[in-house]
Amino acid sequence: MDKRGGILSDIFAFNGSSNAGWSQPKPILPISQIKETVPQSMLRSNPPAWPRASEPELVRHYTWLSRRNFGIDTGFYPLGSCTMKHNPRVNERIVNLPGIDRMHPLQPEHQIQGILSIFFEMQEMLAVCSGMDQVTLQPVAGAQGEFTAMRCIQEFHRERGEGHRNKVIVPDSAHGTNPASASMCGYEIIEIPSGKDGRIDLDALQSVVGDDTAAMMITNPSTLGVFEPEIAKASEIVHSAGGQMYYDGANFNAIIGKTDPGMMGFDAVHYNLHKTFSQPHGGGGPGSGPIGVKAHLAKYLPTPLASRRKLNDSDTQGVGDGFWYSWITPEKTIGKVQQWHGNAGAVVRCWAFYRRYGRELERMSEHAVLNANYLRYKIMNPDPEVASNIHAMPLDGAPTDFVMHEFTLSMIQLKDKVGITGKDIAKRLLDYGVMAPTLYFPMIVPECLMIEPTETESKEVLDQFAKDFLNILTEDPEIVTTAPHTTDVGRVDEVWAARNLILRHPGNHTVQD
Amino acid sequence: MDQLPNLGREQEMLSIMGLKSIDELFSNIPEEVRRTEPLPLPPPQSEEEIWRDAQHLLGSNINLDSRPSFLSAGLSRNFVPTMVGMLATRGEFLTSYTPYQAEVSQGMLQAMWEFQTMISELVSLPISNVSMYDASTSAAEAITCAVRVHNKKATQKETIYISELVPPHRMSVIENYVQGAGINIQILKHDLNGHLDIDSASIANGSCAVYVEQPNSFGILDEGLLKLKELIGDNTALIVGVDAVSLGVVSPPGEWGADIVVGEGQPFGIGPTFGGPIYGIFACTERYIRQMPGRIVGQTHDSNEKMAFTLTLSTREQHIRRHRATSNICSNETLIALMGAMHMSLLGPDGITVLSQRVAASTEVTKKALQSIKGVELVHPNSHNFRDFVIKLPGDSGEAVAFMDSKGVMAGLPLGQWWSEMSSCLLIGCDERTSESDILSLVSGIKEWIKEVES
Repeated sequence: MDKRGGILSDIFAFNGSSNAGWSQPKPILPISQIKETVPQSMLRSNPPAWPRASEPELVRHYTWLSRRNFGIDTGFYPLGSCTMKHNPRVNERIVNLPGIDRMHPLQPEHQIQGILSIFFEMQEMLAVCSGMDQVTLQPVAGAQGEFTAMRCIQEFHRERGEGHRNKVIVPDSAHGTNPASASMCGYEIIEIPSGKDGRIDLDALQSVVGDDTAAMMITNPSTLGVFEPEIAKASEIVHSAGGQMYYDGANFNAIIGKTDPGMMGFDAVHYNLHKTFSQPHGGGGPGSGPIGVKAHLAKYLPTPLASRRKLNDSDTQGVGDGFWYSWITPEKTIGKVQQWHGNAGAVVRCWAFYRRYGRELERMSEHAVLNANYLRYKIMNPDPEVASNIHAMPLDGAPTDFVMHEFTLSMIQLKDKVGITGKDIAKRLLDYGVMAPTLYFPMIVPECLMIEPTETESKEVLDQFAKDFLNILTEDPEIVTTAPHTTDVGRVDEVWAARNLILRHPGNHTVQD
Repeated sequence: MDQLPNLGREQEMLSIMGLKSIDELFSNIPEEVRRTEPLPLPPPQSEEEIWRDAQHLLGSNINLDSRPSFLSAGLSRNFVPTMVGMLATRGEFLTSYTPYQAEVSQGMLQAMWEFQTMISELVSLPISNVSMYDASTSAAEAITCAVRVHNKKATQKETIYISELVPPHRMSVIENYVQGAGINIQILKHDLNGHLDIDSASIANGSCAVYVEQPNSFGILDEGLLKLKELIGDNTALIVGVDAVSLGVVSPPGEWGADIVVGEGQPFGIGPTFGGPIYGIFACTERYIRQMPGRIVGQTHDSNEKMAFTLTLSTREQHIRRHRATSNICSNETLIALMGAMHMSLLGPDGITVLSQRVAASTEVTKKALQSIKGVELVHPNSHNFRDFVIKLPGDSGEAVAFMDSKGVMAGLPLGQWWSEMSSCLLIGCDERTSESDILSLVSGIKEWIKEVES
């Protein structure tokens, strides 16, 4: 007997008649003739054991599942580093237009002038905001953007006869994708420790650069939410050793219009459109990870790029802006990283998002930073009455007067004093109807919680979160360490999952008993 | 600008912090890297204006549904059930992120576990992840995964074999992904029928992996591949790229020796969308589980012994393993995979069979119709095809496509775009929606063009 019961809505238990499912037109040949189109030995004997369900059953199943899932629409989602901002709904309406949904990437240019003009506009806008010279929209995720940029840098070095440069430097506070992406290109990773204040340690950097340095990958503001004031010096150190500077754009939401990676001395940058420009995160994706580069790297970018010229008399159509749009291939392109033109649907959504702000994108960053600092202030400065009941206060992950768009808290004092860990706090927050912050990252902050409210949360939401957060610090440790208590399931046993590896439904019947 | 709830309340919030201006919050950005000029961009727009511009710009594109189309080449002009878009865009799914907090993410976790099951059933392999970016990155990461598993025992170290008919854009993705691991790519040849030259395929024995596609990029179903695993042996991974829809009628690669199956998931769940977002299928046997890329959901239980789901085997992933991770993938295509799961569950075992039969029927009828045109030759007359096939024209196929475009027909892909020696060949792609009148339009378009060329 399995004490664990079963799945409450088991899609594989639906087993209606073959007519109950979704109807579709008949094939345009009789079945007997269709069978002859496949070699006899290759005919499938049994269809896949998929659910046999009707639309009414499935609508209810998936609605039930959706209610057991938490999104930004459900409540506050302060997941640091992920920039979980509101996703404007018109963007979803736009991508349902047949002019994007029903488009093929290999259609001839004269059929795709509209989408090409949007691609071009996005390339230009991203270049302007980042101080780069050329942008490709092809990478479909931030990690793929990193990989693509590192491939371009690799080809740049090779063409200059410096293919021996085989080391990439990353700070120990970097996102895990940075070393993973560089490593996939064949680079060796040199990790340098952060300074005591969480900022880049220029001496440590100076001591590892050399004629084997290919690049440094860094995000600014750092994963601690702190601006690196000496970033220009870091760029100088890496450049004078002959290396390239790579900007991880995960935290781009903090700085638009205030500074840009070009000014800081970077040669290449990726943007997480799903963070900064609000492509919905969709339970883990799709994302979109365009990259921008300085002129010396532009010829290596993936192919093709959107381009434009003045309309000729012979051009029959356009989008009415006086330009003809076309694809071009960079001279020494690395080829393809995604097989078509990237996540075009995400690009279109993000274009619609950018159009809401236009030249006022700076306001977006201002409010992201305002909200982060406000929330940090409210948490770190509790009313005396509340403060007197708190077991132990969190510590700032980085000692700084102001943070940028996010901040980190160390719960180490709480753990030492009453045994409540960062993870316990995260789980207890779920009981208060909010998503947990990012947990245990960056690894350099003990018992770390990383909080990023984004610009789309109201003051009231931030006030309430601070209040709830501080209240948890006063609660009976027994309640906190066994949380969550009010969610669909209690604390989930991850170790059991990894030991037993039940990775699919056992078959076309219920799991229980 | 209507996305900022605290617009106009800045002073109130600043004064609570004892501050006067927002600029103070940015004071850690040194002067020398401070931007002084406003961004040279147009003014903000309202939702209404954005919608107007979107309709204008996207409306100026010519979409596949507006005319007979035979352009496929790896994507499907599918019909996605209405339920899929409506349910997948429920905010709880749409606006969630990776389900790190399992207790409030059971919905997406269960949906992905069900997705894994459906993919596993479709290809007949025990394990599936929750998606890759597309068919090409799936293939590329299958190769690097196989090399990690097999290289130690391989006699041809860091060597893999790939069919020469893998289309160039996919080959390019693979080359970019494998070069860093020092992997050496060898090519497997094909005969004039478009079948893998199976007699020479045993040269791959002792290498780390073989990558072939079934059907291949010419749409050919190659019976010879059923013998491939036997020829390359147990320590060489057989990686098969599939047309997912074909598996309603064609035997799944897991039944003829495939170790890893990859492919484009797009036909299930989402329109061609100008090439993305789409999703890659990745399924494998137990042997690869600790070296595979991507996220996986496992069944478990909660503190009250209630059944629950969670992400598992995370120690392979970049956020834990950093530069030793099996892949750099983080954001993936979960929402599109969810749409795929919804589409697959609505089809069911009977629906996938019919869908597959519809594509097979369209392919056969279109092929027969074109074969009968004087001046048109089937390049592989003895082949069985699914979805795609190749014809040879009396002239440049790019010109033929342009001519038919002017008559309102999308005639397919001029293969000169992929292989210059095939400039007179045209790749015709059919799908479940190909109608007899579409076929008549294509036939008369080609006839007209031939008349034009010959006069």
